[in-house]
Amino acid sequence: MTGNALILTAAAAAAASVGLLRYAWSLARRSMALNALGWGLLLLALVLGAMSDGAWGMAVVSAVATAVAMAVLTHAAITAPPARVAASNRRANMLPEGKEPKRIGERFLTFLIAVPLAFIVSVLIGMASRIAAAGAGLHEADSNALMLLIVPLVWTLLATVLLVWPARRMQFAVLLLPGLACAGLLAVSIVR
Amino acid sequence: MNQILHKSTVQRGLSAHAALGLLAGALVYLVCLTGTLSVFYEEWQRLEQPVAPEMAHISPAAVQAGVEAVLASEKGKTPTTHLYVHMPADAVPRTTITTDHGAVHVDARGAVVGPEQIGWSDFLVQLHYTLNLPSLVGISIVGVLGVMMLALSVTGVIAHPRIFRDAFRLRSRDKGGVGLADWHNRLGVWTLPFAIAIALTGAMIGLATLNAYGMAAGFYKGDIEAVYAPIFGGEAKPDPAPGKVPNVAAALSDIATRFPHVRPTYVVLHDPGTKGQHVQIIAEHDRRLIYGDNYNYDADGRYHGHAGLSDGHVGQQMAASTYNLHFGNFGGLPVKIAWFVFGLAVTVVSGTGVSIWLGKRERRGYDHPRLSALWAGVVWGFPLALTATFLARLVIGNGAPLVAIFWGLSATIVLLALVMARRALVGAWLRPALGGGILATIAAAALHL
Repeated sequence: MTGNALILTAAAAAAASVGLLRYAWSLARRSMALNALGWGLLLLALVLGAMSDGAWGMAVVSAVATAVAMAVLTHAAITAPPARVAASNRRANMLPEGKEPKRIGERFLTFLIAVPLAFIVSVLIGMASRIAAAGAGLHEADSNALMLLIVPLVWTLLATVLLVWPARRMQFAVLLLPGLACAGLLAVSIVR
Repeated sequence: MNQILHKSTVQRGLSAHAALGLLAGALVYLVCLTGTLSVFYEEWQRLEQPVAPEMAHISPAAVQAGVEAVLASEKGKTPTTHLYVHMPADAVPRTTITTDHGAVHVDARGAVVGPEQIGWSDFLVQLHYTLNLPSLVGISIVGVLGVMMLALSVTGVIAHPRIFRDAFRLRSRDKGGVGLADWHNRLGVWTLPFAIAIALTGAMIGLATLNAYGMAAGFYKGDIEAVYAPIFGGEAKPDPAPGKVPNVAAALSDIATRFPHVRPTYVVLHDPGTKGQHVQIIAEHDRRLIYGDNYNYDADGRYHGHAGLSDGHVGQQMAASTYNLHFGNFGGLPVKIAWFVFGLAVTVVSGTGVSIWLGKRERRGYDHPRLSALWAGVVWGFPLALTATFLARLVIGNGAPLVAIFWGLSATIVLLALVMARRALVGAWLRPALGGGILATIAAAALHL
């Protein structure tokens, strides 16, 4: 199959997968088979895109799938009849209600833990990853690029974990254990 | 999803999602808005200065003539450290030469025609990149916002167990918060791959300088350039002794025959007019995410290899792919339009999040009139201030104080909203004002063309 035919097939598969998922999720009873087929087709589209044009092909396939989903959503926005459903009042626990204490100090500490401290630990993990990558024989370009990628990813993960599991002991364990281990590795590497 | 995650985890996910949204909501919204508009950076340039000479191609000899003319025009000034020739491309079919002292357009023969005047386009991109703050501070803050967007995406999925099951349900006309929540959640789930891609690439670009400082301190004795050299290629050792004007034409002719499948986008002269000077041609590759590869030449136009962004180490190819993936510059106008639409969707998601939270509190009996009005001021005020800057650019000219106009007007709107303390009133004033501003912008742009 030529490059153009393959990428066009991938794009068509991506569009079809969104249509299939739309149909599957509209059924009164959920169909595991149709759901799996829809997700499988989307995965196949990404693989075909990658086979055709690597990362560029995968990006194009993702864009096509998102564009088709947007078109389906636009249709839903236009045709959905007004309903009388009560809006969610689910509480986010961001501000006190009634006579609840404000806990400003605690909130500020959570901010310090999840933002600046988590960033520092992310940088330490990134530097340790770079040392490990170089030690494993990766080229300098790969090791340096790895750190550029890994710091935002680790920070995201840490911020999410720290905010979703707010027990202080757990938070400090999540930060201190990898942080100290990576700082130690870094210190040994610099001394050498 | 609700079988995988415990109810308490979902609740804490919502708390985390709300905390991140409230912490960074206004700036994330501004970065999304300006990023969406920046997708058409090249098109804005053509709109701002419609009379600049355009050409599909320019000959190597004409580029050489242009470079010589610009360098000659700067005799007596502090020598420029770099000279950039923007080569004609589909999106901007113009040849522009930029030095430390300014930028000028040249025609197809290489003659200098006049100064480049793209003040608003550059202002917009700088607002997106650095929030108009000093470079390192601003770009790092925007990088942090990229991480916040990533965390918002993850916590958003944790907080909404039915988000995939309801992915096609959009009750757009429902009142009482249902419609608003549906817009937020549906656009959020379908732009999730896009949002993750732009947030991660944005965070990588934004935090790169801080990371490079860390790597330089830990592994390179403080040498920042040494961090980037293995990825993008290094600069030659400077030698300030006077040298001749480099032979750019020879380099361009060589790349056309040596690599006929690539298209030069930039010619970069490092330390032009010195003995240490060298020429770098950045050339793009068809159907690749990389912004191009860096082809190195000496001052006589002799080829000295390329950096390897197109065929080198995975880390090089990945690093070179972040920019086009972020800005949607990898598939011509169709991809740009898609990135613009997806960007608008992410902007709506970021703008509606705080409104949903405020609405829920209001329904539980906790009204925050000032906070609600302030948020309405942010949501409608930022785009209104942007339209004002565009109009100012067209009316006052390229030297209009766009940074002062944008931040001054934004601050005024937000303060007035705080004083009014009524969301409905703020929206009632700002929505028509924004509508009028957009119409005035379109009319002014049409007259300008």
